[in-house]
Amino acid sequence: MNASTESLAEMLQSAAAMQESGRAVLRSMLGMGDVEVGTSEKHCVLSEDKIRLYRYSALARSANLKPVLICYAMVNRPYLLDLQPDRSFIRELLLSGLDVYLLDWGYPDGADRFSGFEAYVDGYLRRCIEFVLREHVIDSLTLLGVCQGGTMSLCYAALEPEQIAQLITMVTPVDFKTPENLLSKWAQHIDVELLTQSGNVSGDFLNLVYLSLMPFRLTQQKYVNLLQMQGDRVQLENFMRMEKWIFDSPDQPAAAFREFIQWFFQENRLVRGELTLAGRPVRLKNLTAPLLNIYASKDHLVPPSASIPLGAHIGSQDYQSLEVDAGHIGLYVGSKTRKSVPAAVTAWLQARR
Amino acid sequence: MSSGFLKAWVDQAGAFQEMLARLVEQSTAAVPPSMASPLLAPWKNFVDTLGMGDFNPGQMFPGMPALGVSREYQETAARLLDLSKQFQQRYAEFAQQNATIMQDAFHVLKKRFDEAPPAGKTPAELYDAWIDCAEGTYAQAAHSERFARLLAELCNISSAFKVERGKLTEQIARHLDLPSRAEVDTLHRQVHALTTAIRAATASSAASGTAASGSATSGSAASRSAASGAAASGATRASKPPRKPRKRAKK
Repeated sequence: MNASTESLAEMLQSAAAMQESGRAVLRSMLGMGDVEVGTSEKHCVLSEDKIRLYRYSALARSANLKPVLICYAMVNRPYLLDLQPDRSFIRELLLSGLDVYLLDWGYPDGADRFSGFEAYVDGYLRRCIEFVLREHVIDSLTLLGVCQGGTMSLCYAALEPEQIAQLITMVTPVDFKTPENLLSKWAQHIDVELLTQSGNVSGDFLNLVYLSLMPFRLTQQKYVNLLQMQGDRVQLENFMRMEKWIFDSPDQPAAAFREFIQWFFQENRLVRGELTLAGRPVRLKNLTAPLLNIYASKDHLVPPSASIPLGAHIGSQDYQSLEVDAGHIGLYVGSKTRKSVPAAVTAWLQARR
Repeated sequence: MSSGFLKAWVDQAGAFQEMLARLVEQSTAAVPPSMASPLLAPWKNFVDTLGMGDFNPGQMFPGMPALGVSREYQETAARLLDLSKQFQQRYAEFAQQNATIMQDAFHVLKKRFDEAPPAGKTPAELYDAWIDCAEGTYAQAAHSERFARLLAELCNISSAFKVERGKLTEQIARHLDLPSRAEVDTLHRQVHALTTAIRAATASSAASGTAASGSATSGSAASRSAASGAAASGATRASKPPRKPRKRAKK
């Protein structure tokens, strides 16, 4: 056989192996059923309209730190932070002795259509924070905002700085108009007034937008890779948990979505100091609490350049940023980061007790 | 994988792109007869029978206002037709742009393989190389102003179509004495306004009550909380002991 014939034979063998692996995957997936997500024990302590405030059951002796309230994004479900026992950002915090609360925005429907961004920040988020303060009879807590929830947390903390003892932002957009921000480039010419005129913005539409950011990897390659998992049940279940989360996207309340796109993506009001909520200016300079800003170097949704400028806009003297070698989601579930990131958060908090 | 094989792919992609370019030209001129909706076919036959020449709904009576008792429907229908046409044109442009991206990606892959022949690579590695090229080429195009504008136009036309379709549905619902979207929206607005007013009133009364009693520590977060707390907001404090949450029904 000559070299090219050998090469062809190897390719065919490899292709046959892939085909066999694909068959094994399909066999394993048959009858797999639904996967369980959000496995840490929690209970609802406050409910209002669609939102729920959960408190997680302790898993370790208290570290005697301020309670941590996690404000997740509205565009996805928060169980990403507690996907499964061995991939759970929240579980790691609990194991460090933290008292963790989670604000779940729920699934908005037509009744929420006219609720604006202010209603979510100065309304729901405020009431959740004040509930926790009352429960613990304290004046301030630790607020941890994730992605869009980080932007909301920044707004709230700027309005009520004395209620926030420490602020942690994770993959949070601050400057919405940086050259690397593809989502922002696409948003500039969207007539968001027209888009929201006929009601809430569907989660399916948003999913299409996210997939369009990297269409070949997100709609093709990952499924081809799936076929190479050799029918490994554990790997498949991990894959399915992530798949479930990715497409479990709530519809967005029309008014809040319109304002978020216009004020942040199109007008970049937060860093320009032009944002007003509840009749009060939202000034990042008001943020004087210690602030930890965590961003992911390979984030395709919120590029580092959108998060990094935060330090230059706040009034805090205690500012620290942490770059993590991961993507937007890998930050929480990646094999290298799922323990190191919560450990960094806990260490940062302990240093400021 | 030989470069001959890749050349065939590139040629095919080029042919596909040319086809799309022709489609764009046709769409720009008018709705191509082959793409006319089946609903328009009877009208075309009718007009042909009358000997009125080529049927072109977009150019029969340009700018002519709708007349008669059904004018509102006619105008909505005309706008829907116009928006469909606009969408078709933009979509053809978008598809052409995507075809160009694919073609460019094939060129990049071919160049890469010309420089470093892929002999010995597994199909999975070749596939990954293709994805890298495709994603890289796509990212370059996707960051361009032209791409953003085209995507936005498609989105804006779809939004406008949805609004017009809503108006038509609204008219039909009214005729059938069904609750319409506008009615439901009015109710939602009223509920929203009432809830906001109740929250403000309750918070204000709680604040004045707290101030009068003087029981809370003055100026503390706790006293502010009493003013705008959960009880004042219509929020429900969970009273049952901790339990495992039940699975919530999806949307």
